[in-house]
Amino acid sequence: MKRLLSLVLVGLLCVSILGTVGIAAEKKGKLTIWAWDPNFNIPVMAEAKARYQKLNPKVEIEIVEMAKADVEQRLNTVLASGAREGLPDIVLIEDYNAQKYLQAYPGAFVDLTKAINFKEFAAYKTELMTLNRKIYGVPFDSGVSALFYRRDILAEAGYKPEDLYNITWDQLIEIGKKVKAKTGKALLGFDPADGGLIRIMMQSTGEWYFDEQGNPKIVNNEAIREAFKIYKKLMDSGIIKQTSGWNEWVASFNNGDSAAVITGCWIIGSIKAEKSQSGLWGVAPTPRLNLKNSVNYSNLGGSSWYITARSRNRQVAEDFMKTTFAADRDFYQKILVGQGALGSYLPAQDGPAFTEPDPFFGGQKVFADLAAWMREIPPVNYGLFTYEADSALMAVMPDYIAGRIDLDTALQRAAVQLENQIAF
Amino acid sequence: MKVKSYFFRCVQYVFLVTAFVLAVFPFYWMVVGTTNSAVDIIKGKITFGDQLIPNLKKLFADYDVGRIFWNSCKVSILTLIGQLLISSMAAYGFEFFASKARERVYRAVLLTMMVPFAALMIPLFRLIVRFHLLDTHTGLILTSLASVFLIFFFRQSYKSFPKEIIQAARVDGAGEFRIFWSIVAPAMKATYAAAAIYSFMTSWNNYMWPLIVLQSNNQKTMQLFVSSLASAYFPEYGVVMNAILISTLPMIVIFFSLQNYFVRGITGSVKQ
Repeated sequence: MKRLLSLVLVGLLCVSILGTVGIAAEKKGKLTIWAWDPNFNIPVMAEAKARYQKLNPKVEIEIVEMAKADVEQRLNTVLASGAREGLPDIVLIEDYNAQKYLQAYPGAFVDLTKAINFKEFAAYKTELMTLNRKIYGVPFDSGVSALFYRRDILAEAGYKPEDLYNITWDQLIEIGKKVKAKTGKALLGFDPADGGLIRIMMQSTGEWYFDEQGNPKIVNNEAIREAFKIYKKLMDSGIIKQTSGWNEWVASFNNGDSAAVITGCWIIGSIKAEKSQSGLWGVAPTPRLNLKNSVNYSNLGGSSWYITARSRNRQVAEDFMKTTFAADRDFYQKILVGQGALGSYLPAQDGPAFTEPDPFFGGQKVFADLAAWMREIPPVNYGLFTYEADSALMAVMPDYIAGRIDLDTALQRAAVQLENQIAF
Repeated sequence: MKVKSYFFRCVQYVFLVTAFVLAVFPFYWMVVGTTNSAVDIIKGKITFGDQLIPNLKKLFADYDVGRIFWNSCKVSILTLIGQLLISSMAAYGFEFFASKARERVYRAVLLTMMVPFAALMIPLFRLIVRFHLLDTHTGLILTSLASVFLIFFFRQSYKSFPKEIIQAARVDGAGEFRIFWSIVAPAMKATYAAAAIYSFMTSWNNYMWPLIVLQSNNQKTMQLFVSSLASAYFPEYGVVMNAILISTLPMIVIFFSLQNYFVRGITGSVKQ
């Protein structure tokens, strides 16, 4: 009798184990995802959704599309209210703001350190989502920076593509002077009120506006000092076409008024939009600063996915991110071709889409190059207040450029302003 | 003398033409933008192009614009009806019922206008969550039904309404509802029209609160839609301009059809 009972019990146990395995294999539930950019993140996510639903037809996925500022506003409101309702399962957060959310709302996002093999992602992307040695996100698009240039204009000035490799900003300015003299064209469209280039220059040295403890590091920051000098040199050299705001800046190269752009690789969509310039463009690595620790690789912008800890379908959300963004190499080929989205998942980067020559860029294997440069970007912890620091620096820039104040005064003023702004 | 008046007229017209251009140019640019590609718009092209059909096709192929437009209309119209009813009745109460506490209550109501929305947002959000009204149009409409400004606005125009008429009606045995419906409201058409424009405009353009309350794609309004379209590494400005044009149309229609009332409503509608 005892034996029979134990047999029955063992049998029941087996059935229940099989049962749970069966349930575990079949995922169901609904995932809500918040993201912005109808030409980039949204179609990328839609592709991931389609692929995942093919494997798990019972998982419902809603991608809610809204402006970037709106994602941030809504996320802040719901997290601050402490309500359980109203949060998405997965949300896109801009890299520069990641630490702000991670530190302001501890426990709001799922720790993925063990769930995902982060060695397979570009090192700089995992660094920015790390807090107390735990990694909280799934890295997505890279803003690896580059020098995009017009082959025809630089050739007219006597430069070959090799001449643009491994150069410093000072060398670039010299090149610009020759371009201006020979062709009459400006080298860069340049908005002195935009701090993007400072961030590119800074990250090329592995420095940021803050030290390791998160305190502002402005006045004694060699990278910022160098960057300020370059801004002034660019303005004084006469090689730039001064622009104001995003549209004028994009127009400066769409119109063919400037010979090059230095920014994140996401600009490719805007460059390619001017179809008449097909075949005329090339890509070279970013210029570096005149500092020992500066390299020719940097980044501007980019964003990553985060899973909220209050998600009702946390397991499904994790599984979704794992099987798509952290495993599917073919997916990354598809979004590279479709949206020009350069992911930071390294194993995907020897795939066919990456090694395809691009006729718009004169047959250069643009994405293979960009992917190679991405691996070399110095990791930086962006801290909590990137945009606050940026606006403090940009507030003193006009006076510095005009020569009304010297570098030390300018940076001291910016430092004071930043301290005031972020003091609680 | 004649030369002088001619000169003044010139100055007048130059000023008017400048003001006209300043006022109309953004609108013109939007209309031109609907017919151009994103690259042309960025390059600053201000003449009509041939991209209208492709832009519209893309807009309607990628999004359920009809539904989003309908959402906006539904929310705005229901809010408008509710606001007009509640505010005009509240103002009637404040103006025509004498009591000791009246002015104090009225002042307290007016004071709530001073509280900025940012301070109310999070508590209001929690309230909506508790009522299970998150992601519903009801949540959006209910919270905006009472408009302090409109109560104030209605009360100001009731002040010029002859009290004798109301007293006469009361003597004749009419109830307060009857007086409000059959005597006061019909005489206040212009005030209602002005209030309607104001109410429609604010709820149509309302941004922050719908953003927080409405969570899914099916529920969102035109303003949220337009802003999400433009947030991109490479915005399709031509498509965005079409969406903006569609979202301004109802405003234009409402304003022009109620324009005469609007002016009269603002300047005072009932003469004694």
